[in-house]
Amino acid sequence: MSEASNRLLGELVVLDDVGPVRRGRAYPAAGAATGLLLPAGVLLGGLVLWPALRTLQASVTNPATGDFVGLANFRTALHADGAWPVLGRTLLWAAVVPAVVTVLGYLLAAASRRTYEGRLVRLVLVAPIAVPLVVTAVVFRLMYDPDPGRGTATALAGRVLGTAPAFLGPSLITVSLMSAFVWAWVGLAVVVFRAALDAIPANLADAVRAHGGTRLDVFLDARWRPLVRRTVAVVFALTALATARTFDLILVMAPGSVRYPASVLAVRVWQTSGGSTSGPGAALGVLWFAAVALGTAAAALGIRQAWPPPGQQAPVPAAAGTVTEEEPPAPTRRRPLVGFARRAGRVLPSVAAVAWAFPMLVLVATSLHAPRDAATGGWWTRPLRWDSYRQAFADGTLARSLLFTLVLAAGVTVLVVVLAMLAAYPLAWLSGPVAQGVGLVLLAAMVIPVQVIAGPVNEVLGVLRLSGTAFGLALVHLALGLPFAVLVLRNALADVPAAQVRRVRLTGRREWDVVWRMGRAILPAVVAVTVLEFVQVWNDLVVGLLFSGPDGTPLGLLLYGQARQFVANSGQLAAVATLVSLLPVLLVIAARRQVVAGLVSGALR
Amino acid sequence: MTGPYPPASRRALLRAAGLSAAAAGLPGVAAGCSARDRPAQVAVVWSSQELALFHEVLRGYPAPVEVLSVGDDIDAFLSARHRAGTTPDVAILSQPGLITDYARRGWLAELPDDLGTSYAEDWRDLLRVNGRLYGAWVKAAFKSLFWYQPSIVDSEPQSWEVLVEQVSRMGAAALSHPGAPAPLAIGAADGWVLTDWFENVLAALAPDGLYESLAGGEPGWTDPAVRQSLDLLAEVWSRPGAFVGGPGRALLTQFEESVIQVTTGRAAMVFEADFVQAVVDAFRRPGQPAPKPFKFPVIDGVRPVVVGGDAAVVLRGSPRGEALLRYLTGAYAFEPWIRAGGYLSPNLGVSTDRYPAGLARDLAEDMAAAPLLRFDLSDRLTGSFGGADGLGMWQILQDFFRAVTAPRADTAGAVSDTVRRLDRAARQAADGAYR
Repeated sequence: MSEASNRLLGELVVLDDVGPVRRGRAYPAAGAATGLLLPAGVLLGGLVLWPALRTLQASVTNPATGDFVGLANFRTALHADGAWPVLGRTLLWAAVVPAVVTVLGYLLAAASRRTYEGRLVRLVLVAPIAVPLVVTAVVFRLMYDPDPGRGTATALAGRVLGTAPAFLGPSLITVSLMSAFVWAWVGLAVVVFRAALDAIPANLADAVRAHGGTRLDVFLDARWRPLVRRTVAVVFALTALATARTFDLILVMAPGSVRYPASVLAVRVWQTSGGSTSGPGAALGVLWFAAVALGTAAAALGIRQAWPPPGQQAPVPAAAGTVTEEEPPAPTRRRPLVGFARRAGRVLPSVAAVAWAFPMLVLVATSLHAPRDAATGGWWTRPLRWDSYRQAFADGTLARSLLFTLVLAAGVTVLVVVLAMLAAYPLAWLSGPVAQGVGLVLLAAMVIPVQVIAGPVNEVLGVLRLSGTAFGLALVHLALGLPFAVLVLRNALADVPAAQVRRVRLTGRREWDVVWRMGRAILPAVVAVTVLEFVQVWNDLVVGLLFSGPDGTPLGLLLYGQARQFVANSGQLAAVATLVSLLPVLLVIAARRQVVAGLVSGALR
Repeated sequence: MTGPYPPASRRALLRAAGLSAAAAGLPGVAAGCSARDRPAQVAVVWSSQELALFHEVLRGYPAPVEVLSVGDDIDAFLSARHRAGTTPDVAILSQPGLITDYARRGWLAELPDDLGTSYAEDWRDLLRVNGRLYGAWVKAAFKSLFWYQPSIVDSEPQSWEVLVEQVSRMGAAALSHPGAPAPLAIGAADGWVLTDWFENVLAALAPDGLYESLAGGEPGWTDPAVRQSLDLLAEVWSRPGAFVGGPGRALLTQFEESVIQVTTGRAAMVFEADFVQAVVDAFRRPGQPAPKPFKFPVIDGVRPVVVGGDAAVVLRGSPRGEALLRYLTGAYAFEPWIRAGGYLSPNLGVSTDRYPAGLARDLAEDMAAAPLLRFDLSDRLTGSFGGADGLGMWQILQDFFRAVTAPRADTAGAVSDTVRRLDRAARQAADGAYR
């Protein structure tokens, strides 16, 4: 088996891999290493770590007098009206949604084979993850519109059940929000699980079956223990992390009357403190961060698992005629089950693909109606027209916002890749507790929600005379995107074979040249980081809401402003949403293999 | 490979250090450049039609202006921007309570007194804090109107009893014939619609001085007039079949959608101010009859007149905010609003004969002639009691709506509960602890 096909999640699959294999190579000189690490270190220290410490300090300080008050702020925050339901709902999100995404992702991955149709199905499933969360909110609010003449899901449910339930009402709003989130994230789980299943050698399952294993044994021994357990931990962790930030979704999808029963910590922190750092607001933020960090740490521990080398566990099928002590029992009969499972397996991916493509089709169809038609009837009842697009471009704000976001995203992406490459290069050669410590710090910086540190970040930007400028906004995006990029590139660099590293160092003229050539050697990881960072900045709403200023309006903020009077504006809103989703979806589809590998390897180690 | 580095590499490092120092200096230059010629910024709560009209108003301004349409969360937005030090130059707010809050915190620039002389004393006093003027009015809204679809409703209800009777009759008919239009459309998803209903009824029932003292933030919510107002509201809201799709759907219907429901004939009547006209014009089909307005029904012999308005303020530290504010609140800048119809100006420089004859002039005269200015109560409350999505008075009245429209509603219990919550919220706001 070639090395490339053996590689999954950044590690070799079948060969032995207990502990770090390739670390501990020669260090670059201390001076050069400091110089390389300095830009990233300053940025992260100033815009992430220092604000986090400030928030921590504010959470144990009386906001008015500045004295140390211990846990009093935490008590105030938790005793405020409605704090516990909000906390409970946040935990519910973090527990239920990742479970659903994981199970559904595994089933769909196991059902879709390595065929052409399977690849097409996975393409359709992975597209929603590139769509901005604001657009997902718009799509699902259009579908869940309580008017059966307008809302697709309401009309279908009414046809099937008689009376449609109020999807956006207070009792079902959280379920509806979760359904939107699952729609967006299942594709990632499917692709990751598919890659994991493909990487497991087929004769492993055969070997277990040859020794009389049932389907359950095959699953446990040939799939779960080798790789799937670890993949499940990765997918669960990634999804749980994402649910901590369903800010955009709730803000746009929940009408005003249900915002209270739909709130999670992200919304509550923003609504009650307006991005400040004082007292109880900071305490709430610290609690939130602690919960997220604990969850991530638990997931990271669950991922560390050594796959024992072959020859010790998986029995090799004996040559015919060999006599062993116990006679291997005959394989159990399971033909009827296989037939049913096979039929279900063939139908399930197609059904899933249709179901997943449907909401986007609803969005495009709604956008192809005149604003008046879109507001008064469903997309299936009126003639198609371009009026909504014409109106969207009418006053020039959309064009300006597109240009501004494009320049911002491109600039931030270039800077992130360069700085992360520079920082990852010396970090890749570290080993031992220092490497673990740095990895943990980067992981913490990656999971911290930006609402928690918004106030101190603004203070820092104010000191630099940059608050409210486009440059300040870019710096914040840069600081938030660096940790993940550094992790991914560090892992990729550490995997480069020793022979290649030696060759590059011998032929490279200076340190910069070596870094450049190493970058070429890990091109897929660089592509992954580029695409992910660009899409992240393009799709963003929170950072734009908190830090943007007079220089320009990011697209997320524009969409949020347009979603105010939702129904009356639905034609134009759908048009803008469609236009905003085109670029990230194309990028992610074009680079999907690298993106998946990058996302998953960054969560390990 | 790990030996001492050749001097060439040290040179490379020094070059990098120099570049990064230059790069650090660039932002300063960029910030300086951008501060000088960046456009002025205005934050507004408007969207769609009102926003389009505002863009038209700005076309006459000589310098470039950037408009931020922020929506009802403008308080959270301005607070965040204030902490960042990047507040816009001008903000146009519909809640004088917010203006009072911000002025007390020192976020607003004081305005010269000559800007206040264009308004009547009542209007001017709403924007004064400790005797200093902090804002100027951009436009006003007449908030005691009902709009009805003439093809469905033959006679306008002149008194509250007639209104309740019409809603009962049409509601029963709507329940028995599935295609029949519902009597009322209500944008209950937007809490301010419900508070407008409440304020009109209270304005009619409240004894002298109660409305003003409640608006000023003083306790008094336990007065029997408040309870009586809630009873009347429950009387009309709890009629079976009163709303399109039922009360659950009404709570998910936003204001503009409720107007669309009347415009397309799904409902007979909608209550809201004169700015309904703009939405009607945008969504009416050419052949359909347009909804017509009638004034709020008489309650106990009193016809209430409640007004609302949007005022512009200058955020402290803005160099050209005052010039922009002068332009926005001048009599000349009001032309696009008059042309669109459905907006009034409290500016004394806009005489009533500037309005087209008919409803607009009628309402302008009513507003000018009203003996007592009753400004929208929830907009005058300070702190988060005033309202925002999911908070304060908006949330309390939405919960009240949900309670009285439930199938087996305990109206008396809901009224008591609401009175208690309003009283407690007012006390907490007065203590400053409601945030």
